[in-house]
Amino acid sequence: MKTVLYSSPFVPAEWLSAHGMRPERIRPDPSASAPSVGPLMGMCPFARAFAGDALARADAAGVVFATTCDQMRRASELVAMHGRRPVFLMNVPATWQTPVAARLYLDELGRLGRFLVRLGGSEPSREALCRTLEAWDAQRERLRGALGLLAPRRASEAMAEFDLDWRTALTASGPRAPGGTPVALVGGPLMRGHTQVFDTIEQAGGAVVLDATESGAWTLPAPFDRRRLRDDPVMELVDAYFGTIPGVFRRPDEALYAYLDRELAASGARGIVVWRYVWCDLWAAAVARLRERTGLPVTDLDVSGDEGAFAHTAGRIQAFMEVLR
Amino acid sequence: MSVTPKRITIEEMDLLCRRQQAAGAPMPWYGGPLNRHVADGDRRLLKLEYDASPAALRLWNFLLTEEDRLHQAREAGRKIVGTMKDLGTVPVMAYALPNVVAFYPDGAWWTPCVMELSEGLFALAQSLGVGEAFCPVRAMIGAFVNRNHFPIPDLLTCSVGATCDDFSSIAQRLESLGFPILWWEMPARRHPDPDEPAVTLPGGFPAPASQVALVRSEMERLRAALENLAGARLGDDELAAGIREANRIRAVLDELRRLAYTADPCPMPALEMLIAEMLAIHFCSDRAESAAVLGELLDEVRLRVRQRRGVLPEGAARIFWVNPVADLRMMNLLEDCGGRLGGTEFLFCHALDRIPEDLPPLEALARMALADPMVGPSADRAERIVRDVQDFGAEAVVVSRIPGASHCALEGAVMGEIVRARLGIPVVEVEVPPIIDPMLPTLRTRLEALTETVFQRRNV
Repeated sequence: MKTVLYSSPFVPAEWLSAHGMRPERIRPDPSASAPSVGPLMGMCPFARAFAGDALARADAAGVVFATTCDQMRRASELVAMHGRRPVFLMNVPATWQTPVAARLYLDELGRLGRFLVRLGGSEPSREALCRTLEAWDAQRERLRGALGLLAPRRASEAMAEFDLDWRTALTASGPRAPGGTPVALVGGPLMRGHTQVFDTIEQAGGAVVLDATESGAWTLPAPFDRRRLRDDPVMELVDAYFGTIPGVFRRPDEALYAYLDRELAASGARGIVVWRYVWCDLWAAAVARLRERTGLPVTDLDVSGDEGAFAHTAGRIQAFMEVLR
Repeated sequence: MSVTPKRITIEEMDLLCRRQQAAGAPMPWYGGPLNRHVADGDRRLLKLEYDASPAALRLWNFLLTEEDRLHQAREAGRKIVGTMKDLGTVPVMAYALPNVVAFYPDGAWWTPCVMELSEGLFALAQSLGVGEAFCPVRAMIGAFVNRNHFPIPDLLTCSVGATCDDFSSIAQRLESLGFPILWWEMPARRHPDPDEPAVTLPGGFPAPASQVALVRSEMERLRAALENLAGARLGDDELAAGIREANRIRAVLDELRRLAYTADPCPMPALEMLIAEMLAIHFCSDRAESAAVLGELLDEVRLRVRQRRGVLPEGAARIFWVNPVADLRMMNLLEDCGGRLGGTEFLFCHALDRIPEDLPPLEALARMALADPMVGPSADRAERIVRDVQDFGAEAVVVSRIPGASHCALEGAVMGEIVRARLGIPVVEVEVPPIIDPMLPTLRTRLEALTETVFQRRNV
């Protein structure tokens, strides 16, 4: 089975799967963020690392990018220019209030399907598509159940394992975090190895009670409505992904803040740690709004993706946790 | 009034103005010495050099009185539309209505430069969480909040989707501060798939017909919003008339650019050409006067070309300039270093290309909007640059980076690679901050190295 790499939560993995591909949502390796991949100044470390991984993965049949951020949109060009495997750039509308926006997302699913067929996949029958969607939905439900039982770091890793292989056996082992000052981790996606941030927060006396990074559970699609799925499986995909997942890129971005209002209150978080890559404008502009809207203390991590710079990040977390105590 | 073509200081420009006034030369209501704008805080004017012509004087006064015009429009009861990001499309629609004025709040990105940071817009933006990691367009948010510049628009529109994250984030922050925005979708332009119905956009980019249809439906939404605002119908006839007027201005600019970027000696300085091109995007809040200002500038250039007179010595290095500069002084610096403009792509070539007049108006506008170089692949933009470099005969390319802009880092790399490979001419990237003074030695060195390379290549 051919592997297709992607990163955006708005790319429906089951759609790739239904077309006979093995979807692999990767958390890129920070060390793939080599200067040779793209300019160091001005380029988001995550986008550079993802591009680096995509260029290096000889086993991948194709790479799917999404337009959900300018940096990834342009990184897709780098990979298309310098890589040897086909690249698909999926238009995910920033607007969401109009039928036109949903229609664009729907059309893009169709175009993605044709791309997958060109890669060697096959167009699924309606019945096969429904079965695939149901199987993914069931497995995702198990994932959701497991996430609630896992310690924060382990939960994030379970998400990553699911993204790599959706049939992975989910284990609910691993103790819940010891009680610490509850904080929410909010922001961009994590790279490989970045789950150490959960440990760092714990070591500083905190506990992540809400993982609202773009690698967290909030980026999961809504559970499918089985009746609607049988009526129109593709529209159900549109509703579950485009109609449900909040995003910092969406305009207006009410859904993100509605989600955060709800989940922050439910989690009892007393502070917010923002996981933001340097040069990421979308999350940078969100920091002040998070402060205003939630009234909670916020620290802005300004992550470079560089292992050496993590000491600085850790120092900032420790200082923040001291303030929260 | 006959004046020897050259670059002059503001004092010399004001002397020229007084001579004009003494001679009883006609002057528009907004005319007068430039120094009065310095008194209003536009201190950067003291450090610029200007084209020595009444046409340039009129151009500058027209530019520098835009905020006055907008306030007058408000007092006169006209509706004001702030059209953000699309750079050239929505104003064509807005000006098709008799009682509507449109402008780009984005234009505030030059205010910190023109006022030499004395206006505090960046500090205000910073206090609202939009700091120096963002491109200078962040000044816009300060201008909305302190209300010291343009009047707050009656309707704000913003294209999103395939736009830079800076702008999208800043506009969202603006909305969170209580300025409602009509967001409209601009998909990332892509190449049509095989067998997919496609159209050729103004400027030559190909695009799938489905993307044009999507943008057209967004244009319909904008039309309804404008009609609602104006309380008047914006039918196809009115839109078609608006397109014809826009094309009249584009035709003037087309000839102006062709002459200014190809004639030797260079008949018009880079700085005035930058300002002239900017008028295309929203007509500096007065479409009819914009046409008159550009017409006078074109007459001046035609005369100089006929007389083989220019503002620079013959043989200046012909530099194709990519992206607008945050500091206007950079255009003077290019010429100080032995260069001249030999073509431009200031991020809005779609506002310079003729809008098709043989299509339904919204279809034509949708095609124009989708031709925006920012919404498509950087490779497309590079191809356009390659074509224009060849067309204008430019000898080198400067990719001028906008500090903090999310698109510049990657886009510059891709475009530079393609232009070098296709044309084999030198390409340099420079980053131009809102005030270049501390960077002058570095920027001068880079530009001089480029022009020297051009001169050496001529001798090979």
